[in-house]
Amino acid sequence: MEIDELKEKIFAFVQAAKGKKKLKEKDILNGVSAEVGVDKDVVKKAMREMIDIGRLMYSYGGGASSVEIPSEEYLREKGLIK
Amino acid sequence: MAKKYDTPLLDELEKGPWPSFVTEIKKAGKKSEMANDELGQLEKSYRTKRGYWKHGGIVGVLGYGGGIIGRYSSLPDEFPGVAHFHTVRINQPSGWFYSTKALREIVDIWDKYGSGLTNVHGSTGDLVLLGTRTEALEPIFAEYSSRGWDLGGSGSAMRTPSCCIGPARCEWANIDTMEICYQMTQRFQDELHRPAFPYKFKIKVSGCAVDCVAAIARADCSIIGTWKGKIAVDQDAVKWYAKNRMDINKEIVDMCPTSCISYDGTKMTINDDECSRCMHCISKMTKALKPTGEKGVSILVGSKAPIVVGSLLSWVIVPFMKVQPPYDDLYGFIGKIIEWWDENAKPRERLGEVIEMKGMRSFLEHIGVPAQPQQVKEPRKDPFFFWKEEDLKR
Repeated sequence: MEIDELKEKIFAFVQAAKGKKKLKEKDILNGVSAEVGVDKDVVKKAMREMIDIGRLMYSYGGGASSVEIPSEEYLREKGLIK
Repeated sequence: MAKKYDTPLLDELEKGPWPSFVTEIKKAGKKSEMANDELGQLEKSYRTKRGYWKHGGIVGVLGYGGGIIGRYSSLPDEFPGVAHFHTVRINQPSGWFYSTKALREIVDIWDKYGSGLTNVHGSTGDLVLLGTRTEALEPIFAEYSSRGWDLGGSGSAMRTPSCCIGPARCEWANIDTMEICYQMTQRFQDELHRPAFPYKFKIKVSGCAVDCVAAIARADCSIIGTWKGKIAVDQDAVKWYAKNRMDINKEIVDMCPTSCISYDGTKMTINDDECSRCMHCISKMTKALKPTGEKGVSILVGSKAPIVVGSLLSWVIVPFMKVQPPYDDLYGFIGKIIEWWDENAKPRERLGEVIEMKGMRSFLEHIGVPAQPQQVKEPRKDPFFFWKEEDLKR
């Protein structure tokens, strides 16, 4: 699977959980890896690249960290959109 | 900047001979509106007996999931200076050694972007900078990282490893704590900055069982320097202690947890086979007693020190491990510990809690450590019977 296609799968996976469940990094690795049959390390690398450019972001609440789709406010604060 | 609030309740805390945090915040308030409003909000909290801080959120720097702790005022209109008041954790050098130049560099950047307040080192070990706005986070990170500093850990991640000053300034250090801590910080960069664990995971390294970083009370993985040989006794120095009014029987012999020391009024004898390497005698009679032989570490796991309930102390799982650069054995071992914890923990469960629930047997089997007498925490309570289905059928 091409890396861009994998990133779209990861994004869709996180989007599907939005408002329902706070996803830990491990949830995404396990879920996407099982869904598309790609090694977890490959999923991890793709996900990290998405986090590095602000397509996904780390969030913290209730004592635990999760991975989410960034809000517009976050993207604006980071100068990624105007 | 003029004084903004009357603070009669906080002013009470400036009285007396000791330095006062109120005085320091007031000093910072002369230059910073954030510090001024921090004082105003705190006075209101004292008056109303309520806290006005909100915690958490999405603050952080791009690519990192830790190092910034989001803090907001719930009264932003009344105290706009602390509407955002985020904490920044800077990864400390091993043993907390700084040059004055380095400290000036840190506080100059902090004066530029933050409140000017710091409580220097939090209980995590990181250098803690208190109070800045969300939009300042990326510039702060850029300035610190361009000068070789990095953020520390927070959230569900490996927390910044910390250690005692070890051989840099202590005669009791059995291991090079600072080197181990430094190398582990380098090795676990990904785990430190990208929260992927069920909850926090702390590693602390102490040079001996005196445990100056309180690893036994706070770390999920405590690495404590120890030795295999005998305790060398200098009988002349023992006589010196006796002559200088040390009650050796009361202060040393009776305090030995394994009763392995005897003293007949002139000569001290130690049964080294019974010694648990607790360091009590050595730390009390530094001139007379000295560990000898092979040096290494004991590895303990599972402590946590929450504020209210549920505190756990560390549990010995490896009585002695030889460690030397490049520490691959140690990394591999810690990796196995984390792997078992990650597989078995629910969110917000620390390693010690999972061991209590799943049992030491499952944990030891996964990490490949055999049951040993040193692991018994309380006699007759931790038998480590590793019965399996096939054993019961026999």
